[in-house]
Amino acid sequence: MASTATESDQKKKPRPTYTPGPYSAKLTPEDHRELLLQLYLARYFDVRLIKEKKRGRLRGTLYSSHNQEAIIVGSLFGLKPEDWISPIHRDMPAFFMKDLRSGWRNPDRMGMTVQEVCAQVWGRATSPGRARDNWSHIGSKAKHIIHSTSMLAGTIPAACGVVYADRMNGGDAVCLTFNGEGSTAQGVFHEAINFAAVHKLPVVTVIENNQWAYGTPAELEYSLEDFARRADGYGIPGLIADGQNVFDVYDKISEAVEWARAGKGPSIVECKTFRAYGHGDHDDDRAAKYRPADEVEEGRSRDPIAVMKKLMVEFGTLKPDEAKEFMAEGKGASEVTNDDFPPQVVDYLSEGVEFAVNSPEPAAEEGGMWVFKEGH
Amino acid sequence: MAAPAVSTKKNYLTALKEAISEEMGSNPDMLCIGEDIGILGGAFGVTDGLQAKFGAERVIDAPISEAAIVGVACGMCLNGKTVMAEMQFIDFISCGFDQIVNMTATYHYRTAGEVAIPMVIRGPAGGYGGGALYHSQMNEAWFANSPGLKIVCPSTPKDAKGLLKASLRDPNPVIFYEMKELYRQRAIEEDVADGDEALVPLGQAQVRRKGESLTIVTYGNNVYHCLQAAENLDKEGFSAEVVDLRTLVPLDQNTILESVKKTNRLLVVNEAPRTCGFAGEVLARIAEEAFEHLDAPPSRITRLDTPVPWVKPLESFVLPSVEKITEAALRVCRY
Repeated sequence: MASTATESDQKKKPRPTYTPGPYSAKLTPEDHRELLLQLYLARYFDVRLIKEKKRGRLRGTLYSSHNQEAIIVGSLFGLKPEDWISPIHRDMPAFFMKDLRSGWRNPDRMGMTVQEVCAQVWGRATSPGRARDNWSHIGSKAKHIIHSTSMLAGTIPAACGVVYADRMNGGDAVCLTFNGEGSTAQGVFHEAINFAAVHKLPVVTVIENNQWAYGTPAELEYSLEDFARRADGYGIPGLIADGQNVFDVYDKISEAVEWARAGKGPSIVECKTFRAYGHGDHDDDRAAKYRPADEVEEGRSRDPIAVMKKLMVEFGTLKPDEAKEFMAEGKGASEVTNDDFPPQVVDYLSEGVEFAVNSPEPAAEEGGMWVFKEGH
Repeated sequence: MAAPAVSTKKNYLTALKEAISEEMGSNPDMLCIGEDIGILGGAFGVTDGLQAKFGAERVIDAPISEAAIVGVACGMCLNGKTVMAEMQFIDFISCGFDQIVNMTATYHYRTAGEVAIPMVIRGPAGGYGGGALYHSQMNEAWFANSPGLKIVCPSTPKDAKGLLKASLRDPNPVIFYEMKELYRQRAIEEDVADGDEALVPLGQAQVRRKGESLTIVTYGNNVYHCLQAAENLDKEGFSAEVVDLRTLVPLDQNTILESVKKTNRLLVVNEAPRTCGFAGEVLARIAEEAFEHLDAPPSRITRLDTPVPWVKPLESFVLPSVEKITEAALRVCRY
């Protein structure tokens, strides 16, 4: 596995505009349709929550994954159910999209239910963490999802430990950690990847390079053109994916996962993307001012849903007429309606929202519980 | 012919070594990780021979990366393992601080009990050896102020072994402070049991010396300073009761209370800095719980609010000593 340049700007064949890699080439038409549905689902989660908050039904800050959904969807699609993941704040849909291939409503699948994730967003007792910490700070030992904190890159060491233990037990699970490019400046990022490299641990570090760390632009975060070169410093492979193209993400992550599962060790996969809105919804208005308008327009111009539909039409797995249905792409939360999404996506998420809204808040005295495991 | 008598007494370091080895032997899901703990056997030799016995997969030589050591250990625990993580000196624990207080200490709380982290972070601690600023610290207050961590500090070989074994069986993260000046102290060698018999439960203080005039609460190195001070007090006609906390979190408040209700006077001694140190916590609790039993203002002897300096006169100036403790105890007794 060698460092590669972005493929989207290479050969200009008339069609298809993306040459499938060895992994995406094996995807069936049904897989294509499932991936597209999942992109809609991730997007709908985002816009639905923003609408719910505007209606006053939701507290807290929302960290939008808008325009970055291909990274979540393409990454998770290549995992086995027993693999581990460690999402961050911008990957909220990942909690219920893990192992979605095993059936959206399959109670045994190795991912959270959409009900659980919505209950967490709403701060209800039915959340997996009983709403003790906010937003993405949930996880599940049973479903192999590491519980994150607010300290970015802080779960990469735990990812190393989880797979080290799994390997000792004879397993071959891979752990996929999601990180923004901002977190790559943390010391623990270096410590953990170095440790993983030394022990050839099956940890894939996904960097969602969306060009902005809250209010700080990329050129003030790092001095590299590509994070693939950062990997050279650890003696591990570094790959670059077009973060707007779900097929490219799937190809690169699958390559890294196969490498890891074969015992060859960790890798870094940089997915180049762009943060469509503010750091969180509290920051949307300011982000519109601190970021140049032309940069934002350019960054939003390749909506992953649109990119995927175009490719599917080229591949012949979506009819041109079908591509004109459900035009969610390119629209902000205030412009989009439920009619812009496939009904199964709206229905699925609505079940989660209704469950959350009707769930109780945790009892006040739970605030004092579970500091220690008792009985010892 | 009878064989020549061989001393069965063990030092503090050997006791620790046995605790780790016994627990590794009885718990196949236990691992050890730290800097130089495998090939070298640890900077002080606490893990000497461990890697040869249990293999490099279970006894891991880590890069100089305290945050990774703690974080990796946390992940292993998340996936069913028990981990002993060594800090080469407890001073270096600051490099892993976030992974301890935010990632590990909170895990059980933030998952509403789904995930317990059975991890012991242990390392050589304390002053009196000329270790200077970064090889002399007692930073237990940082962690006492971070809910979710147990804190242990043994002063004898028996306690070193028994408390370490109990810590390694506890489902919660434990910060374990070893007194490196006691590691090879001949004077405190004693018989130490094997196996389960050696266990000393967490959260129980030990009265090291009975007395009527004054209660001195302490732990670690200072236990011995306080016992010497108690002898000085005898000569002045006062008998001091010395309580060795052994575990700071959870604190055995009852043993302190019972003693203070008997002596009506309290002095607390620790070698951490004064401001927001653990001694202050003990004073506050006793002031709250036993004010009406006190015949004198409760008092404390701690390190000055300074770093620990290197050369002997400087170090002695800032750390608690037998003289300082004796003087303060007399003040409390004569109030």
